[in-house]
Amino acid sequence: MVRRRDEEDDDVEDEDYEDEDDQLLDDEDYDEDEDEGRGGGGSSRKRRRSDFIDDVAEEDDEEDEDDDDEGYGGGRGGRRQNKAPRSGSQFFDLEAQVDSDDEEEEDEGEDDFIVDNGADLPDEDVGRRLHRRPLPLREDEQEDVEALERSIQARYARSSHTEYDEETTEVEQQALLPSVRDPKLWMVKCAIGRERETAVCLMQKYIDKGSELQIRSVIALDHLKNYIYIEADKEAHVREAVKGLRNIFATKIMLVPIKEMTDVLSVESKAIDLSRDTWVRMKIGTYKGDLAQVVDVDNVRQRVTVKLIPRIDLQALANKLEGREVAKKKAFVPPPRFMNVDEARELHIRVERRRDPMTGDYFENIGGMLFKDGFLYKTVSMKSISAQNIKPTFDELEKFRTPSENGESEMVGLSTLFANRKKGHFMKGDAVIVVKGDLKNLKGWVEKVEEENVHIRPEMKGLPKTLAVNEKELCKYFEPGNHVKVVSGTKEGATGMVVKVEQHVLIILSDTTKEHIRVFADDVVESSEVTTGVTKIGEYELHDLVLLDNNSFGVIIRVESEAFQVLKGVPERPEVSLVKLREIKCKLEKKFNVQDRYRNTVSVKDVVRILEGPCKGKQGPVEHIYKGVLFVYDRHHLEHAGFICAKADSCCIVGGSRSNGDRNGESFSRFGGFKTPPRIPPSPRKFSRGGPPFDTGGRHRGGRGGHDALVGTTVKIRQGPFKGYRGRVVDIKGQSVRVELESQMKVVTVDRNFISDNVVISTPYRDTSRYGMGSETPMHPSRTPLHPYMTPMRDAGATPIHDGMRTPMRDRAWNPYAPMSPPRDNWEEGNPASWGTSPQYQPGSPPSRAYEAPTPGSGWASTPGGNYSEAGTPRDSSSAYANAPSPYMPSTPSGQPMTPSSGSYIPGTPGGQPMTPGTGGLDIMSPVIGTDNEGPWFMPDILVNVRKSGDETLGVIQEVLPDGSCKVALGSNGSGDTVIALPSEMEIVAPRKSDKIKIMGGSLRGVTGKLIGVDGTDGIVRIDDSLDVKILDLVILAKLP
Amino acid sequence: MFFHIVLERNMQLHPRHFGRNLRENLVSKLMKDVEGTCSGRHGFVVAITGIENVGKGLIRDGTGFVTFPVKYQCVVFRPFKGEVLEAVVTMMGFFAEAGPVQIFVSNHLIPDDMEFQSGDMPNYTTSDGSVKIQKDSEVRLKIIGTRVDATEIFCIGTIKDDFLGVINDPTTA
Repeated sequence: MVRRRDEEDDDVEDEDYEDEDDQLLDDEDYDEDEDEGRGGGGSSRKRRRSDFIDDVAEEDDEEDEDDDDEGYGGGRGGRRQNKAPRSGSQFFDLEAQVDSDDEEEEDEGEDDFIVDNGADLPDEDVGRRLHRRPLPLREDEQEDVEALERSIQARYARSSHTEYDEETTEVEQQALLPSVRDPKLWMVKCAIGRERETAVCLMQKYIDKGSELQIRSVIALDHLKNYIYIEADKEAHVREAVKGLRNIFATKIMLVPIKEMTDVLSVESKAIDLSRDTWVRMKIGTYKGDLAQVVDVDNVRQRVTVKLIPRIDLQALANKLEGREVAKKKAFVPPPRFMNVDEARELHIRVERRRDPMTGDYFENIGGMLFKDGFLYKTVSMKSISAQNIKPTFDELEKFRTPSENGESEMVGLSTLFANRKKGHFMKGDAVIVVKGDLKNLKGWVEKVEEENVHIRPEMKGLPKTLAVNEKELCKYFEPGNHVKVVSGTKEGATGMVVKVEQHVLIILSDTTKEHIRVFADDVVESSEVTTGVTKIGEYELHDLVLLDNNSFGVIIRVESEAFQVLKGVPERPEVSLVKLREIKCKLEKKFNVQDRYRNTVSVKDVVRILEGPCKGKQGPVEHIYKGVLFVYDRHHLEHAGFICAKADSCCIVGGSRSNGDRNGESFSRFGGFKTPPRIPPSPRKFSRGGPPFDTGGRHRGGRGGHDALVGTTVKIRQGPFKGYRGRVVDIKGQSVRVELESQMKVVTVDRNFISDNVVISTPYRDTSRYGMGSETPMHPSRTPLHPYMTPMRDAGATPIHDGMRTPMRDRAWNPYAPMSPPRDNWEEGNPASWGTSPQYQPGSPPSRAYEAPTPGSGWASTPGGNYSEAGTPRDSSSAYANAPSPYMPSTPSGQPMTPSSGSYIPGTPGGQPMTPGTGGLDIMSPVIGTDNEGPWFMPDILVNVRKSGDETLGVIQEVLPDGSCKVALGSNGSGDTVIALPSEMEIVAPRKSDKIKIMGGSLRGVTGKLIGVDGTDGIVRIDDSLDVKILDLVILAKLP
Repeated sequence: MFFHIVLERNMQLHPRHFGRNLRENLVSKLMKDVEGTCSGRHGFVVAITGIENVGKGLIRDGTGFVTFPVKYQCVVFRPFKGEVLEAVVTMMGFFAEAGPVQIFVSNHLIPDDMEFQSGDMPNYTTSDGSVKIQKDSEVRLKIIGTRVDATEIFCIGTIKDDFLGVINDPTTA
């Protein structure tokens, strides 16, 4: 018996002593039992009860006072009696509180107490004991029993009985929380695995030393290794108490904050009761993550027997059993498979068939493992399984069901699934079916839902109006044809129509995928909703343009839980396909611009009207552009989520291009404002009308070699498998040219030599000028606002330059492709914003002085002017021009500007031609070249590719002759013969990174530098003299030898 | 099921159609607009059988269009749950069409003894080969569920019931 010892012991107890004490303790336990037996009757019982009164109660101030009163009342003055003489049982009791379950104790000694406890106290008392306080006096058996009895009676007559009847309320609970005045909890480190032992030691010490130990209690928690808690007022008390204890490392004593004190002692609610048939998942080991079904629960030993699908490598097992070498580390986890006893026998594995004495079932015992019906029955610790939120998938459940072929067991399994249902699972009006109990298979409708119980209105007649059924006994019920939505589980979000009901599993025909989905009736609700709710899977969202596996592309028009509906980019007919996530290659986010039927640039967000095809007449904003195919969103179009797929050239733009403004900005950033052929200007277009072949010059940016100049042009393929196709050059690499075929929406690579030269005929069409399109009236309004911001630019940037550099400049000013000079300056002045827009307007500039200046008498100066004025544009001055568009627009009948323009332009064309040496490089037709053009382009010292009499050689221009031809020294460093080459025979060699270059145009014409980087069509150049870094169009850069 | 009902619609007419033929124009436009459409409530408008009444036209501000309320009689077709229909199989899998309505018959709603045979001519065949469902077969089926979109009525049907199934096989006919 644990009792107060008056004798003082040494502080240090050696091990033997301890053992002895333990022994003693046990012995004394029995003593006490006997004593109490002797003590007899109520008093003993009372006393024992009081023994179990918990320390926790001490936290209550009020009760503490009571406590003291009692103490004094009992005639045993002093704190000593009050605190010190506690029976050991009190301590154990404390432990019992820590564990939620009274039966969990492992200690034999404790068990004794607990057993007593169970016998004497009804279980529900356990909670209430918390509110009683320890009996202040613990009498020795010789003490005055009567006095004790009286005192106890007095006490319980007052407090305990009343308390028994009271329900503890929240407020009372709150009052029990520790405050600053209460003793504190200290966390002390101790040897691992010795937590309990340490606590017992301390208890013993307390018993032995009594009041000297000023600690109040010791707590060892099962789940907390390495630490125990000691309750005391001061840290010093704790130190004193733990002094000399082997298991305690009192180096660091940590105070538990008041707030956390309750957490120390609060028990994690193990509300999930593991009961038979519950579905659980294994947390550790080979079976980690596997679904298991509980077959037996041993709460006392905290062990659970579960049924699993075995993952056993029979061969390995056989090897092991026969004592052969077994690879220590398994490379893989064997797949789950039902145990086949015959197979095992074949491998000479001993299979014993045993009868379980408890259940009477037969088990196959193989190497210590128990199997039944192919399942493995395994007993594991409760800690190694998780029972919360288990959502077995359909397949898993299916497997568990297979061998038994027992509908009943499946039902049971299902009903256990319901344990994990969310709140508010049933709603009024739901059709339900009873799955358990006497009313099984009764159908009805939910009328009212209370906490656990669902009131249903039964379908059957003759039954009460409503029945209250536990929600666990109910399952939702659906009939084929119901339209439902899946609200939980893997298929969450899908909607569809019920095709078949198999017990509690529904087969649903998904609305979008038209596939069958199997779901639990429990996971769905009836719904008329068709959308999936989800608009995004992974990175793909509704209405995204995506590239698919087979290089087709399309817009996502509907998102299902696992698939997308994609409207393919096939303009001929709407083609919708169902695409799984993995079939999507990537999202296409790049913004392209294309041209509509009338060569207007169409970009995303522009409104277009479809002129032909199945969706003729529809109109809406362009959502995506890819490979010449537009995805137009027409909200009046009810199919395919409003998306229509159409070829760009079967559409026409309606209204202005909204995004012009930012497009410019964008293009600026991307191409440095240069490469905007499509939206460039009117002039080429006019040319095209007038005399297409001549237009090339303009087209080719007067650039250097044919290479880059070719990019973007439309060519015809002369040879090879694609002979006869026309397409746009998208890229050039060495001898091969990548051409986007007009007719096939695909890009093919062809040899350069296979490309037809005169292709250019079609190119002009690419350069759509809005300006030239007088007919495009609607477009203009949108632009008008832009003009004001143009004007200053032209004044500032362009005009002066024109004046200064007449001849070359005018060309560029005129030629949209050579906008570099004026705008470049402008840009370099650090005004990118204004620059950004300029190329577009550049075309407008021709009328300006610059234009007129250069070619006096050539007749073309006037021609354009005339042309423009015919178009109704005020021509005279740039400022006037700035305001021009608005008045101009409406007044221009569509055809008008064109017709005259073409005529009048022709004369001008040759003039324009020259400035574009590109022509020469391109060795394209234009025979016209040569006149006065090369000026700006070919310069001495630059490296050129000379193509004379069929062979190509590198050469260095030595001199530019007045007739435009050049004296070229052949050889890569000009060491060879000197020949005279026509511009048409020369091609500027495109510089590469870190080549020395010469600038052939712009204000820096003639300056040399080094190309330190290439960004798209821009070259980053470090000027030799100033070491300034400039960004210049690659076209005007020529390589130096 | 077919119904002959009276519906009303506000028709907008361009001024160029005004004149002697206004009414004819109105009717022809109505027919063009309405026939073949589908509304969730009434189903597919199969045909307009007559005009009950053309209300007073109201000129719309700004456009010059005139809005006429038109009451017209029409035949509508609306499938109902539980209805038995005859339909033509259009796609194996299988889908059938009864006029404008598309009906899907799920695998699960085909008698168990019929099995899907893939191949050139995919079809469902009974184990004894006596009954075959393939494209263009006519089947009698029962609608077990409908889903009504704004423009489409989609049905799920079953042939797994008494007296349902193939009524006319294109190969034998």
